[in-house]
Amino acid sequence: MPDFIEFTVDKFTFQVATDRLYTDAGVWARLVGGRVQIGLSDFLQQRSGDVAFAEVKPAGTRLDYNDEVAVVETIKVDISLGSPVSGTIMEINPTLETAPDVINQDPYGGGWLALLNATDWEIDRARLLTPQAYFEKIKQLAEEETR
Amino acid sequence: MSEARQKVVIVPCSGIGKTYGSVSRLAGYVVVEDMRPEDTQLAALSLLVMGDEASRDLLARNPAITIDGCKLACATKMVRESGGMVTQDFAVLDVYRRYKQLKPQGISELNEGGERLAHALAEEIVGVVDHIIKGSGGTEHRGGTEHRGGREHSQGGENG
Repeated sequence: MPDFIEFTVDKFTFQVATDRLYTDAGVWARLVGGRVQIGLSDFLQQRSGDVAFAEVKPAGTRLDYNDEVAVVETIKVDISLGSPVSGTIMEINPTLETAPDVINQDPYGGGWLALLNATDWEIDRARLLTPQAYFEKIKQLAEEETR
Repeated sequence: MSEARQKVVIVPCSGIGKTYGSVSRLAGYVVVEDMRPEDTQLAALSLLVMGDEASRDLLARNPAITIDGCKLACATKMVRESGGMVTQDFAVLDVYRRYKQLKPQGISELNEGGERLAHALAEEIVGVVDHIIKGSGGTEHRGGTEHRGGREHSQGGENG
């Protein structure tokens, strides 16, 4: 169970897990056993609404940084998600096939999207936001939107 | 004097300005106006929110089927808070997951996918309506729909 930093705006509380890094768009990445696991941040999933379908590119797909890795369709929007790392998709979360709402229920745990073999994690991680930087970014965004 | 014939009360989502809310309301109209007008009656969620006595009374005397547009499940929660019994609750999103080709879009005017999804949902609701009515000794409908969707609730077993 990761630690979180969180903030509340209006009736919504947003959590940022502190054990991973983030893209500007709200895709997280963390190193797990030599591979990079990716998923949606709590802020992104709450803002996007209930997930209807999540389609990750097939295993074996090679991606550059920010190439589309998945499309998530929610009751509000279709989101194209850019990959936080360069590399090859090795595994897709099988739960997404039958219960894609796991992304809403557990964005930092069971709602992960895919595992990738990163080409160069050190280069990619330098491009990503720290939890604190991402936290500040979304907090500002959320506060602006509620004004 | 004979007792009033039991009807199934259909309570759709009131999400004005939401595509899935529009699908839920269209499905409700299709069931009540086109498919089972004698066995069903609509109740407006907004009236329940306002504490409308006639709506509460209707729910007190008849089983309800709710159609929720999102996971907040306002229709289901409000029926229960109003003292009604939710026999089955449907979520538009769950139905859409079974009919992926019917992507709903639009709000005041649903696209073709949204309209077809509403009709598919209506078919599933009718399956439950027929089951309820048959159980209460009401109208027998030929060619009824097989019931596949929604969450079934036994009497007295739910707590909002």
